[in-house]
Amino acid sequence: MNGPDVSWYLTLSSFLFAVGALGVLIRRNPLIVLLSLEIMLNSANLALIGFARHLGDTGGQIFALAVMAVAASEVVVGLGLVVALNRSRVPLDVDRLSTLRG
Amino acid sequence: MITSAWICLLSPLGASALITLAGTRISRRAAGYLATLSVLVSFVVALITFFRLVDQPAEERSHVSTLWTWLTAGDLDVGLSILVDPLSVFMMLVVSGVGFLIVAYSIGYMDGDDEERRYFAYMALFVFSMLLLVQSGDLLILLAGWGLVGLCSYLLIGYHQERPQAIAAAKKAFIMNALGDATMALALFLLIQRLGTLEYGAVFEGIDGVGGWAITLVALGLLGGAVAKSAQIPLHTWLPDAMEGPTPVSALIHAATMVTAGVYMLVRLSPIFEQAPRIQDLAAGLGAITLLVAGVVALVQTDIKRVIAYSTMSQIGYMFLGAGLTTYPNAMFHLMTHAFFKALLFLGAGIVIHSLVAEQDIRRMGGLARVLPKTYTAMIVGALALAGIPPLSGFFSKDALLAAALDAGAYGVLLWVVGLIGTFLTALYAFRMIFIVFGGDPSPFVREHLHRPGHTIPALWMAWTVGALTVLSVIGGWIQFSPFWHPLTDFLEPVAVPGIEPSGVEEVVTSVLAVALGIAGIAVAWWIYSARRAEVPRWELGQRVLEHKLYFDELYDAVFYRPAVWLATATSRFVEGPLIAGSIRELTEGTRLLATRLSDVQTGLLRTYALALGGGAAILTLVFLVVRA
Repeated sequence: MNGPDVSWYLTLSSFLFAVGALGVLIRRNPLIVLLSLEIMLNSANLALIGFARHLGDTGGQIFALAVMAVAASEVVVGLGLVVALNRSRVPLDVDRLSTLRG
Repeated sequence: MITSAWICLLSPLGASALITLAGTRISRRAAGYLATLSVLVSFVVALITFFRLVDQPAEERSHVSTLWTWLTAGDLDVGLSILVDPLSVFMMLVVSGVGFLIVAYSIGYMDGDDEERRYFAYMALFVFSMLLLVQSGDLLILLAGWGLVGLCSYLLIGYHQERPQAIAAAKKAFIMNALGDATMALALFLLIQRLGTLEYGAVFEGIDGVGGWAITLVALGLLGGAVAKSAQIPLHTWLPDAMEGPTPVSALIHAATMVTAGVYMLVRLSPIFEQAPRIQDLAAGLGAITLLVAGVVALVQTDIKRVIAYSTMSQIGYMFLGAGLTTYPNAMFHLMTHAFFKALLFLGAGIVIHSLVAEQDIRRMGGLARVLPKTYTAMIVGALALAGIPPLSGFFSKDALLAAALDAGAYGVLLWVVGLIGTFLTALYAFRMIFIVFGGDPSPFVREHLHRPGHTIPALWMAWTVGALTVLSVIGGWIQFSPFWHPLTDFLEPVAVPGIEPSGVEEVVTSVLAVALGIAGIAVAWWIYSARRAEVPRWELGQRVLEHKLYFDELYDAVFYRPAVWLATATSRFVEGPLIAGSIRELTEGTRLLATRLSDVQTGLLRTYALALGGGAAILTLVFLVVRA
């Protein structure tokens, strides 16, 4: 089997996940938060495909495809929300969108 | 015959339902006519039933008819069944016959009242309930009828619902009767447990096998029901108060029919009571005490209806005495004659009250003999019959009953003496009332307020029914003159065999003594209240005790009412307030406080949620790793 060992893929995946998570936690613009979420999802996809290749099992690849479909629909909803917020002149800042506070 | 018995039972129920449903679509008087007609139908078919029954040989005169199974619980089946036998037909005739006259009288008495329709619906319902009670073929149906007559009594005592005393009296009657119903129900439970059935026939067959303390308890429970319903000591205090109801109600329910239900039960269930002779003696003893106490208390009452009410208690005491000493036919005979002359006295008093604008205090009456001569005649006949003067009806029944007591050993002789003293008291209080109300010159109150009944239709209804009862009070006793002529005893023989048979000598001695004492009572009453040759004896203490009716009300107030109120107040203050209400208040406050604190966790900031999620997942992962390692 050619190419680097599975551990490289996993390391990259972990790094990407951490970057995404950090973005979700510290950025305040909802658009960037959504972008960071996509990075987290794709890091998971990378890990899935890495394992699929390592174990020679296509199940992981199919699963990654399913994740992409879900991610696409999630982005549609998320971006729709952002557009709707912008239209109603709500500031695009997740920290100020705290109306549901207890 | 079975069909006619069912028609007899259901006709008043139909009238009651019709009057209720028709509401204001029928006139007030039409409601009265409808109720009267339905009871007349009952009486006519009861007569038909009677004649059909007499046609049959004596030993075949018992028929049970079941419409459907009314109740099933485990092995117990209770059918909606009626029993047609000499005793029930006898009671059907008394109830529907006297009931018809009294309901007809009500057309006149209640004329112009605001809610006549309600009154007549209740009256018809009462007649139905009473017929259900006497026709039932099963102890549970008997209890149902027992409860229904109690309900009707409650509704009719409280008929004048704008009067607080009437409502209080109605509640008192209902509660006292509920006590009796409860003891009866307990007795029935015990019977179900022992015998598994409540049908008369099956119960009477199996009753020998019950034995021991169980049969005594059953009899005691049943006696409790009888004592409450028939207003015998110690459950008698409701009857004088029940006089708050309209006068025809007092006549029908609280004199002629419902209050005698206890006597009917003692006779109907005589096979049960005969297994518990001590309870029978207790019944007779209670009757004797009641007849004496009520007779004495009646001497100081000033309300015309209460005098008659105490007289009713006293006369039912005689019946209990007779039924307890197992001279059943004489008890039933006295029940019938009492229904006639007591209904007559009440209805006559009703005319007096009516013509004096609802005044009931005998001290304000006087001299009514001149202005109401026919009522005077009727009342005299009723009082003479009550006092047992021959040849009026009370003589035949009361003397036969007392003579039988003489045949029942030493205990019987004791009760016989009490009964004879009662005869004297009866004559005394009856004629005290007659002389005060009718004797002398018209009092100022009478002259001012008298409102002479005219020849209007309502007055005529009142007049002819009182006339009919007068005739019945005279001739009603002639159907039996033991020991020469006793068709009633023979008729009732298959149901209740008398355990004692007085000899001719005993009859003669009793009759002579009873009549002599009755005449003596009348003479004393005349001496004091009419001729006024002697002052009314005054004995401060005794009078006060009697006017307070021997302090029974005060005793029950102190023993039951006050402790109950105290207990309720105490539990309300010390248990309900701090414990139940307090705990609920604390619970709500605690929940609210907890929610306020917890809601601080919800910051509304996305990042705290995400951090909590991520942090939680990370911690869980670590935990799993550590555990696995």
